[in-house]
Amino acid sequence: MTARLAVAAVLFAAPLVVVAAARLDLATEKLRRIAVLAGAAMSLAALVLLAWTDDGCHRFLAGTPLLRVDGFTAVLLPIPAVTWLATVAVTPRSRLDRAGLSRTAWTTLGTTAAFATRDPWLLWLLWSASTVAFLSSLARPETLHARGVAAAYLLSSVVLLGVGVGLVFGVGERVSWAREVGLWTMVVAILIRKGIFPLHAWVPHEFERGRLGPSVLFSAPQLGSYAFAVLVFPHATPAMLRTVAVLSLVTAVYGAAVAVCQRDARRACGYLFVSQSALVLAGLEGTSPEAIAGALVVWLASAVAFTGIARCILVLEVRRGRLALTTFHGGYEQFPHLATSFLGFGLACIGFPGTLGFAGEELLVQGTVGAFPLLGFAVVVASALTGFTVLRMYFSFFCGRRVTGSMKPLLSHELLVFGALAVFLVAAGLLPERLVSSRLTAAHALLEQRTQGAARCP
Amino acid sequence: MHRIVEVVLLVMLAAPAALFAAVAIPAGCRRPLPERWTALLTRSAMLTSFVASLVLLFAYGRTGARTREISYGAWFSSGHGQFALEFVIDGHSLGFAVLATAVCGIVAAFSTRYLHRETGFDRYFMQFSLFALGIMLVALAGSIELLFAGWELLGLSSTLLVGFFHERRAAVENALRVFAVYRASDAAMLSAAVLLHHWAGSGTLSDVFAGNTAALGITGGQALVIALLLLVAVAGKSALLPFSGWLPRAMEGPTPSSAVYYGALSIHAGCFLLLRAQSLFAESIAAQVLAALVGAATAVYASLAGRAQSDVKSALAYASLAQVGVIVVEIACGFTTLAFLHIVGHASFRLLQLLSAPNILHDLRELEDRLGERVTPSGRAVVGAWQRGLYVFALERGFVDALLDRCVVAPFRRIARAFDRCDRLLCGEGWGTRARQDRRSP
Repeated sequence: MTARLAVAAVLFAAPLVVVAAARLDLATEKLRRIAVLAGAAMSLAALVLLAWTDDGCHRFLAGTPLLRVDGFTAVLLPIPAVTWLATVAVTPRSRLDRAGLSRTAWTTLGTTAAFATRDPWLLWLLWSASTVAFLSSLARPETLHARGVAAAYLLSSVVLLGVGVGLVFGVGERVSWAREVGLWTMVVAILIRKGIFPLHAWVPHEFERGRLGPSVLFSAPQLGSYAFAVLVFPHATPAMLRTVAVLSLVTAVYGAAVAVCQRDARRACGYLFVSQSALVLAGLEGTSPEAIAGALVVWLASAVAFTGIARCILVLEVRRGRLALTTFHGGYEQFPHLATSFLGFGLACIGFPGTLGFAGEELLVQGTVGAFPLLGFAVVVASALTGFTVLRMYFSFFCGRRVTGSMKPLLSHELLVFGALAVFLVAAGLLPERLVSSRLTAAHALLEQRTQGAARCP
Repeated sequence: MHRIVEVVLLVMLAAPAALFAAVAIPAGCRRPLPERWTALLTRSAMLTSFVASLVLLFAYGRTGARTREISYGAWFSSGHGQFALEFVIDGHSLGFAVLATAVCGIVAAFSTRYLHRETGFDRYFMQFSLFALGIMLVALAGSIELLFAGWELLGLSSTLLVGFFHERRAAVENALRVFAVYRASDAAMLSAAVLLHHWAGSGTLSDVFAGNTAALGITGGQALVIALLLLVAVAGKSALLPFSGWLPRAMEGPTPSSAVYYGALSIHAGCFLLLRAQSLFAESIAAQVLAALVGAATAVYASLAGRAQSDVKSALAYASLAQVGVIVVEIACGFTTLAFLHIVGHASFRLLQLLSAPNILHDLRELEDRLGERVTPSGRAVVGAWQRGLYVFALERGFVDALLDRCVVAPFRRIARAFDRCDRLLCGEGWGTRARQDRRSP
């Protein structure tokens, strides 16, 4: 327990170190190095915790719902850590500033804390804080329109979630109608935050017109899915689950289909994210252990893969400007490692055999088809369409013409991060047994909580 | 004996996987292997696989058992079952595996010379090793998940090799087109896998391959649905109608890869799967008739289109396709042994033709030197109107691609773009601006 507590402490201490360092008079590059080291330590700690977490629930602060890790949350903790590491390591020097590094550290801390709690009010508070942090990252003149759109959607989701939490956990026990209304209100808030059809339009807009780095840092951990699992799922009626599942499956196909015809790489990435995150939510509502376990594995795989894809796009944009998908940019020979990593991330997204996505998608499809015999095949269709878009992006970014002249090569730490992310996805995909079996146990625990009707630690 | 068979099978499958790792890891560490090392490793790996497949064939012959299942445990488990690392050894699977390892060995040896000093030498062999692993999985898989994994490996490696000369725009565009069809095929295969798992409660294929569908506990209707999905998967992978348009496009890749994919193995992978799943088709006369019709139509179409091709690789591709169509008809009619022999014979013959295709001008000149006169193509002039129509049909490759573009791609694109415009509108972007951009762009 002491060792676990020490490792868990690293998760929270690492971003705080960067926040503290940002207050000192350090050069930006030096601060970035500290952030990279902190991100690496945090990622390592999260992975160790994932490997250590058995089927039980560990509360590190006895008597409170804070800082608890079980099979369900253990798989989520690496997501903010890895996303943060990739963000600070691969952000171009020209776009780096102390305030930004501090903000990413706060965002990561907030997301990690949210994943480690089940207290509804605290979760709402962290949900709101991450929204404010994201909106504050869009203060540049060129992103003001994106900020306006994001604010309209996300602030309404903050309000709705607050109202929902108040109705369900505040007056729900006393007033008969409050519980169901509150649950529906929370569902709408989650649909907005996750970008589920028809409330999805802001996500591709943010990816295209906003800042890609903060957008991924904000979206990839999928706090909306977590809120759904701990706040709504244990209390939801079957009709509620069914409605959200149908919307999620429709969104998965919709996002993948609209991504196919995009001309802008960022917008295509946004739609792919909409599709993938909808798959996770669809799995969480499958009400079968396979679907939930599959959703958890896809959650981890797609978050890591999307972080990789987004960072690849940023690295290329720094060297080539905005990337259009209507033309071929070439340059494979100049960036063979980046090209290979990009392909690996894309393949992990589509559940290609040998990547972590494969195990997740197999379980997800099995579970979803079990719950929705016809509509469940939306997962298959979405995967096929996503595969096409990923390869289209790969060919457009790296192939199709000869590039002459020199271009700034990748830096060694960029290569290292891309390599590490790709190796993680492949290694976990080749040996998925432990990850999958503990997620199945977590899925059973979640279903048990639903049977009990309360979000209690099993 | 069982233990030996297990080890030999593992060696056979591990050799191409080890080759991939041996070439990819140094390349990933920015220390690519020298060409001669890559060549040596490739030949060693392919020879190992081939010898292992022969040993397996010998061991299988000695035991006299009809079908043998070999399991290496579960890859990962789910609530209701497990994703088993299970293989089925019988006459068909071993025969195809021996053919695959032999062809891979020959093409590997040929490729090391053909691609000498070519940029991307190691990239080629990485993708080739993935292909070798994929085709062996397709040949020997005993669970539908493994079969699907092999199927996906075939598709990806094929696409990447079509786009091997990645600085050529046409190669990349054609690779993307090929991949689009493969994704449709993969989706059908995955759906079949899921349904089999869902209805039978397990993904094991031994009962399907042994013709024992009753043991699976699925109804005739369910067998028909799975069979039709498999037919779509096979049509995509083997370029049967209406997916035939990708085949000539796939010839953009290096000739050795064209030989192994579209002459010898990959194009027959679909037929082989159909042959293995024949018992599912036997459950429904409708599925059999449909498969036979698709095969016959493809054979006629490919024979016509092949006659009007102006380059040797495309002509050979259509000649292959015509034979594939005939093989499908044979399988649909239940002549599985004949179909298997046809696959083996045709794959070997077409491999030889495609590998010698780059030499055709050299061979022709030598022939003319020996004859002492020019060799001119024989045949009579086309005169009738219907013959002219037929010629245009053949020259345009049956308008298959144009039809797919008009009936599937264009409506899909229109709908997707309309949704995209709606999304932009919801975010306060002008409808008119985007609509004008849509009209301007291709």
